[in-house]
Amino acid sequence: MPVRVVDTSSPSQVSGTTAGNTLPPPCTLLSVGQSFSGTQNVSSLQKDEAWRVNVRIKGCDLDHGYLCGTMEALNVPMADTPVVTFWEGEIVDTKNYTFFTGKWGATAEDDIKHWTKFPSFPPLLSQVEVDGGKSLDLSNYPYIFMRWKEQYFVNVGPDCGLTIAGFYYVCFSCNDGSINGFYYDPNSSPFQKLELKSNNDEKSGFRFSTYELQ
Amino acid sequence: MSLFGIVIRQLVGNQAMATSKKVITRADWEKKLNDVKVKKEDMNKLVMNFLVTEGFVEAAEKFRFESGTEPDIDLATITDRMEVKKAVQSGNVEDAIEKVNDLNPEILDTNPQLFFHLQQQRLIELIRNGKVEEALEFAQEELAPRGEENQGFLEELERTVALLAFEDVTNCPVGELLDISQRLKTASEVNAAILTSQSHEKDPKLPSLLKMLIWVQNQLDEKATYPRITDFSTAALEDPAT
Amino acid sequence: MPTSATSNHPGRPEGLIGRLNSANIPYEAKLKSLRDLKNQIIGNRTKKIAYLKLGAVPSVVSILSSAASAQGCIGDSREFHDSVLIQSAAAIGSFACGLDAGVKAVLDAGAFPLLLTLISHLNEKVADAGARSLKLIYQSKLAPKYDFLQEKNMEFLLSLLNSKNENVTSLGASIITHSCQSTLEQLALSEAGIIKRLVSLLGGSISQKDASLESLAAVIKGNPEVASKFMGPESGRALNLVIELIKDKHPRTRLLACMCLISIRNTSTSYLQDSGIKSTLVLVLLELLGDPGQVGDEAPFVLSSLITEKEDMQKIAFDANVIDNLCENLNSVSFQAKRLQGTFLALGDLCSELECCRDRVLDSKVLNFITEALVHDSAEVRAATCIFLKNASRSVKNLSAGKFMNEAIAVPLVQRLWDSSTPVQVAALGALCNMVVDFTADKSLFMKCGILRHLVVLSKSMESAIRVSAVWALKNLAFHVSSRCKEEILSELTSATLASLISDPEASVQEQALSLTRNLVDGTLNSVNYVIGEDGDLVHAIGKQLQSTSKAEVLIQGMYTLSNVASGNELHKKAVMTQLLTRAGNDSETLMIKSLQSSDSRLRTATVWTLINLTLPNSPDTSTRVTELWSAGIVSQLKNMVNDPCLDVKLRARMALGQLMMFGDALT
Repeated sequence: MPVRVVDTSSPSQVSGTTAGNTLPPPCTLLSVGQSFSGTQNVSSLQKDEAWRVNVRIKGCDLDHGYLCGTMEALNVPMADTPVVTFWEGEIVDTKNYTFFTGKWGATAEDDIKHWTKFPSFPPLLSQVEVDGGKSLDLSNYPYIFMRWKEQYFVNVGPDCGLTIAGFYYVCFSCNDGSINGFYYDPNSSPFQKLELKSNNDEKSGFRFSTYELQ
Repeated sequence: MSLFGIVIRQLVGNQAMATSKKVITRADWEKKLNDVKVKKEDMNKLVMNFLVTEGFVEAAEKFRFESGTEPDIDLATITDRMEVKKAVQSGNVEDAIEKVNDLNPEILDTNPQLFFHLQQQRLIELIRNGKVEEALEFAQEELAPRGEENQGFLEELERTVALLAFEDVTNCPVGELLDISQRLKTASEVNAAILTSQSHEKDPKLPSLLKMLIWVQNQLDEKATYPRITDFSTAALEDPAT
Repeated sequence: MPTSATSNHPGRPEGLIGRLNSANIPYEAKLKSLRDLKNQIIGNRTKKIAYLKLGAVPSVVSILSSAASAQGCIGDSREFHDSVLIQSAAAIGSFACGLDAGVKAVLDAGAFPLLLTLISHLNEKVADAGARSLKLIYQSKLAPKYDFLQEKNMEFLLSLLNSKNENVTSLGASIITHSCQSTLEQLALSEAGIIKRLVSLLGGSISQKDASLESLAAVIKGNPEVASKFMGPESGRALNLVIELIKDKHPRTRLLACMCLISIRNTSTSYLQDSGIKSTLVLVLLELLGDPGQVGDEAPFVLSSLITEKEDMQKIAFDANVIDNLCENLNSVSFQAKRLQGTFLALGDLCSELECCRDRVLDSKVLNFITEALVHDSAEVRAATCIFLKNASRSVKNLSAGKFMNEAIAVPLVQRLWDSSTPVQVAALGALCNMVVDFTADKSLFMKCGILRHLVVLSKSMESAIRVSAVWALKNLAFHVSSRCKEEILSELTSATLASLISDPEASVQEQALSLTRNLVDGTLNSVNYVIGEDGDLVHAIGKQLQSTSKAEVLIQGMYTLSNVASGNELHKKAVMTQLLTRAGNDSETLMIKSLQSSDSRLRTATVWTLINLTLPNSPDTSTRVTELWSAGIVSQLKNMVNDPCLDVKLRARMALGQLMMFGDALT
């Protein structure tokens, strides 16, 4: 890791209404084409049981708080091939989406319970309890909160033994491009943890591709 | 994504709700009907509207004289319209076309469907009169180009020309084209177009009121038993079946 | 009697024309021929064209002319003359009805001023016939433009609108609809009190209502000033009248009332915004989509003007099931050009923003009709189909699900790249541009269709719109593909073409060419090598372009390209260093410092990423580069950026500074 001359962990402004943009900042490590690798714990109790996961960002529309991509699970116990799903994400940008999910079977209580599992969330908690975070200024906050909801299986049928009924609470770190998440589905094992690191790193140099739809 | 967990589903039994229809007696119904006030002038207007739209000039004049109801259109224009209608009804289609063009040349120039139907009727009349050669020539020169402009017209044209293929048209599958009802259909289409061009409604109001009555009764049948009107010529209330 | 001995036979045009032109037949016979002609051509396009070719129009106009100059007759003779005027005016009107060639012939023969004189004729039937024919002429684009800005013309127009004759007032309104185009004309008409007059016609006959609604729409369209006058306190009644008319019995009146309201709505974000009127408009148009005639042909166009670029309206239309109705149109219409065009246009608008709309359209059977619509005779239909495909494919989810990886669409769409109409070509490129983003590593479907060769040829087009789109599509084609696929792209395109596209005269082409290069050099070391080569010419071309441009988009794409190159080997990094540290001409600053000081945070981000790649700790020559960068003033510049207002810049600047300091420690 490069030596840091300035401590980036110093608290950033969380509240306060700065004039203009209060949306989370665009971050190159979360742009289209970026990929991430890591693991997902199958249960919160058995730490050893985890499958390897690759994620790639395929689309990003910050104006609509929209992000989408694919997730590939490699050593799934019951499948003979890697299982790929397509997911769509809601960026908690206080404009399009707040910290309250308001659907997919998640209550505000479930929301808080999951968000507080991220160490970067507590500074926001008091305001989120008031209005879901609507009045927060996230434009300089180095973490981006999202919900990822899988939409369909890309390479297997729905009878593959896996479910995509739930969704992920996700926290992305703008600092190093790492991603943490928790899977939420009332009918699945609770707090399955997703941990991913950006594949763009100093070993091979940083590269960014681009495409644009007309 | 995740492995399936234990899914518990509660099974909720569906209890069909027992429903019963409301019963309205004849006395109640008549009382309700009597509470609705319909002005005589409005009834008269409905009658006048029917006479004018259907083109009964003499009856309209008499009715105006007797009831004092003013027609909503110049009665003189009805005569022109009726002449066109009559011409079609008696098979003089060409005459009808010329009369429409004198009344208002825009009608047929901006209404391709009506123009096609009139030309089709002309063809039918030629076939009816056994003028086979002329009919063929007419179909080719006048109607075929319309078919090229519109797929629907082409299909209708093919159906009409099929009349020529049968020795005994009374038994052919498209024989209904020779029916008097075909003439009436075309005549009423021209009638409607002329009315519209004169900013008048093309259909009289009375029939649509009757249609509404039938619809409303059908709706009501599902919810209540009440004195229905089944015979519309007498409008007699029938006792509700119990 | 009108029925002549020959009338049961198809007309003999040559004979009829002969009689019209002959000086030796009685006038009665001439009048009869005139009537015959009129009755033959009304409603009959083929006949109109046949008579046009025989020169019938000048003959009729000359009869009209001589009858018009023989005014002042009395008794029977006057009646006869009036009949000639009526019949000839009606024949001329019919030639002009729905046929541009007819309008042209009528105007060329000098009928226009003659018809104008008829309007003021004492016999109302003659005035009627004249006004009707002029009205039909004004329904064509070819009609002469009326100059409202001349005072006496405006007076004449007002006199038409004030006339008691229904056809004359409708003519006045038609003139406005046809000729009112500029803001200046709209204002002049509004100031002359035309709006008030048109509003009063809303209470007239069907044709007056329709003509008035259409004119109001034309006078208000895109003109907030006129709209505010119409919406003003004294005219609140006028608005209510129009709102009432969207529930009128006549479909055409409903359509035109919608058009008028949409015209008002589109001038400002504050008019007619309540949800009641919004959904009423959608519902009325929805119902009109099912009209079998002309109204149904025009309804999708009006719908399109209501929803285009308005996400809220698209959502309302979606909720009202408009998509199902439009798709139904495709099922039931045997490919009639106008309706097909409108349907695809409206579907395209619906798919421009909302994913729910795209999903619904793709779930319907619309895609089954695409193959046929793409080869339709009408260029407008082909273009509308391509635009629809472009908007429907603007969905990462559906692209990712392979919804467009369909030969039945891809093959005819690729063929449209060589369409005879430029708008179709551009629209087809737009659709393919999206569709090639199929997230596969080898893009085999499109490569199999030969798209690469087509795009490369089109990237050299003289039309800049085509060039931009072709290079854009190549960029999308090159997004995250295999090295083999990248090599294929580059060998078809050649480095020389790529370099010349980077220095294209159009900035938008430069931008696309640079981002194409950016994608080509993102990958293994091999792919950087392959693209950049040994001579470094391409890097030089990029640097040169960056030095000479001031366009942010070009600079950003160029800098990311350099950044990707800088992730390569030591030679690549060296080439990038050279470009960054060059001073162009008498510039006092290097490209690097200028870019870091840019006001565009995206450019600052890209530049810092380049610096990070140049100072990666595990590269052998990093310390040499750090020395160079240090003496070029990079450290003090980066120190200024550790609290950059843009978070991304701030974090990357700190990261770059950290890497620099690791080596910097050794320097000091």
